[in-house]
Amino acid sequence: MRRPQKSCPFCESRVRWVDYKDDRTLGRFITDQGKILPSRLSGSCARHQRQLSTAIKRARFLALIPYIRGHQG
Amino acid sequence: MPRAYEAVYIFDSTLEDSAISEKIDRYHGMLATSEKPEVAHWGRRQLAYSIGPRENGYYVVSHFAADPTRLPEFERALKLDEGVVRYLITLHEHELGAPPQSEEELAAATRRDDDDDDED
Repeated sequence: MRRPQKSCPFCESRVRWVDYKDDRTLGRFITDQGKILPSRLSGSCARHQRQLSTAIKRARFLALIPYIRGHQG
Repeated sequence: MPRAYEAVYIFDSTLEDSAISEKIDRYHGMLATSEKPEVAHWGRRQLAYSIGPRENGYYVVSHFAADPTRLPEFERALKLDEGVVRYLITLHEHELGAPPQSEEELAAATRRDDDDDDED
């Protein structure tokens, strides 16, 4: 089964490199728990998905986005 | 050969602004860069999660071109400083410093994607 093609949101907005400091954009690609959204759901191309995953991990380290959301303590 | 770096520092938000600027100047002085590093102050903002007792941090982003041999000493100084909550140094070269994708590149990328899809 072939899943329908989704267009990459990064390619569409002509992003060459996903910025780890842009927490607003990265926030769109994490789940309610704070997990990285798979490309199957986000539609990102492989190249941008790789950059995205590195960017999210860097942003987490810098406390720009949470490691876990909805967790107290 | 100098390489382009980007550094993000999170300082303790209880420090005075002047003390933070003074620290940044001191650390950047250790790098012996030919050009003055580009410094952007984001200011105080809430951390996404608490780091120890801290809920807020003072964010500073800087760009500089430095010799890689200078970095270990620079990082050591940052690590020992109690006022620096966290720091991240990344290379800022090639794609990172480049402008957004042009029309042709986008077309080329789309073609590559299509080719990939044909294989499965």
